[in-house]
Amino acid sequence: MSSQKVEFVETPGSIVRKCPGTKHHICCGYQTIDLVEGCVLSCSYCILKAYLRDDTIRISHRPESIIEELNGMIDGSPRHVLRFGTGELSDSLAIDRRHNVNRFLVEYFGAKRKAILELKSKWADFRHLLPHLNPYTVISFSVSPQRFIDAEETRTSPVHKRLKAARLAQDHGCFVGLHFDPIVIYDGFERDYRYLIGDIGRILDPSRILWISLGTLRFPPALYGLLLMRKRRYLLSGEFIRGEDGKYRYIKTERIRIYRMLYRLLKDIDSSLFIYLCMERAGVWKEALDIDMKDTEGLTGLFDERIKNVYGGTL
Amino acid sequence: MTDVPLSRIDLKDRRFCLSYPPGDENLLWSIASVGIVQPIVLLDRAPYIAVAGWRRLRCARELRLRKVPALIVDIDEKTALMRAIHDNLARGFNIVEKAAVVDAMDRSGFSRDEIFELMKHLGLNPHEKVLSILLGIASLDAPSRDFIFRKNLSLRNAESLLRFEEKERRRILTALTGLHLTESTLREILDMLQLVRIRKGALAGRDIPVMESSDMLRSRLKQKTHPILSSFAKKLKAIRSAMALPPGVDIRVDPFFEKEYIDIILKIVNEDDVDAALGRISELVAEGHVRRILELTKGRIR
Repeated sequence: MSSQKVEFVETPGSIVRKCPGTKHHICCGYQTIDLVEGCVLSCSYCILKAYLRDDTIRISHRPESIIEELNGMIDGSPRHVLRFGTGELSDSLAIDRRHNVNRFLVEYFGAKRKAILELKSKWADFRHLLPHLNPYTVISFSVSPQRFIDAEETRTSPVHKRLKAARLAQDHGCFVGLHFDPIVIYDGFERDYRYLIGDIGRILDPSRILWISLGTLRFPPALYGLLLMRKRRYLLSGEFIRGEDGKYRYIKTERIRIYRMLYRLLKDIDSSLFIYLCMERAGVWKEALDIDMKDTEGLTGLFDERIKNVYGGTL
Repeated sequence: MTDVPLSRIDLKDRRFCLSYPPGDENLLWSIASVGIVQPIVLLDRAPYIAVAGWRRLRCARELRLRKVPALIVDIDEKTALMRAIHDNLARGFNIVEKAAVVDAMDRSGFSRDEIFELMKHLGLNPHEKVLSILLGIASLDAPSRDFIFRKNLSLRNAESLLRFEEKERRRILTALTGLHLTESTLREILDMLQLVRIRKGALAGRDIPVMESSDMLRSRLKQKTHPILSSFAKKLKAIRSAMALPPGVDIRVDPFFEKEYIDIILKIVNEDDVDAALGRISELVAEGHVRRILELTKGRIR
């Protein structure tokens, strides 16, 4: 798949941490396990291009201390059900079959039964994990129209394979997550997203979709120059402004329009779907979804409620 | 050192010519006054090839001198090129000359390591990407190189300019040559032109308007790259104009209409000023002006 160098490293310090979020925007209170740094999928818009020093994949190789860290965080947080993910600095599944990096985590969360592990990916093969899966591991896929994937996510699995993989996870008793992130404006994107959501409605069981996130394209200034240099037409079609956090994002009125459209289409599949906005302003929550979301604590509370409803208080 | 007739020097063989721009008024005056003080270095070939002293040679020709003082050297071409580079190193090279230096080294078969080593002494980051930009500059036509020199372009902006097709670049130079441009304004303009080009596939003449000032050009391009933002700015301007804010009262709105709130600024000297300002603000609220601004900041209209 890729000739990128893979290194097993003893990362000093903590690799389990709160998602840094972004200034003036509401974060979902996610926790990240930075087990792998770097990604073989090499999507053209990936912010890792701007942040990481080279394209070496570094896998942190000290499961005992990671579990010790997780125990400390989970046991020290009785108020919230913590949600952890390994997909912040990498793709959770892309190199998992070859390097088996997630299995100890899947087994740990299955035994712990107090928190959720989310494996977030654009790579549709996780069959090697099937015998170990449990309800405390959520298999999640980023979803985008195939036209966009063909142009900007060329090394990833096609969207229909991602959706079939999500269905496979559901059929094995797992909950799944869907991440419309990045949502990208290009000629005809509205129609493409309508078809995509239609496919989701046909392929997946909505009652086993734990959450769906919506996040429009955003990136740091360093990446903007790269996108211009590489002439990424799909990524540069929309109208960008610099947000209060310094990142480029679509102008607010466009973000609101897109969120409204996708929210309505998804709710048409099943009105009980849990849909949230990733890194958005309180004003956008209000205008797009008519939800008074004040801050990160508020959104974290909504997640707690969702998990409680779905898991029936077993968590 | 010996005096060599100009006719015995091949002035068309410019393989060691690194100087840009070629002319120098002060040098011309100096040579006219006291003659050529420092000899020209010539490669011992028939005819001679100039290694160092191209500007002096140009002045000599302009002044119709028949002979020039010269040092004849019999060395290989790579050594000659290094001699030409080191002859000028102390005075410092501009960006176009730096590009000529690395281009000449590249053509003469110097290794990447040797080129990178010299780049360090030219104050350049010894990196393949930087080298590629410099080679790109060296390959440009004379007007483009002249623009880069005269506007003292950074490598970053020179790289942006290189991304355009030759025809587009010529139009861009026509639009930009007469304008006063700061580094950041030029960067913004080139980025906007690049964005239009990416979206449309190519730049047409009307995409690169010739304007009186860089601000006007920037504003025109912004309308193309940011039509919604431009339309919001226009609407805000119209609201402001209708509001007729009194002196001492100002309303500040996030230029990107990202922040939902607006700042109302009062400048007061005494309590009466406060009463007057608050009274006027109440009127503005009643007249619906504030609501109209908030509709823009909340993203309710397009």
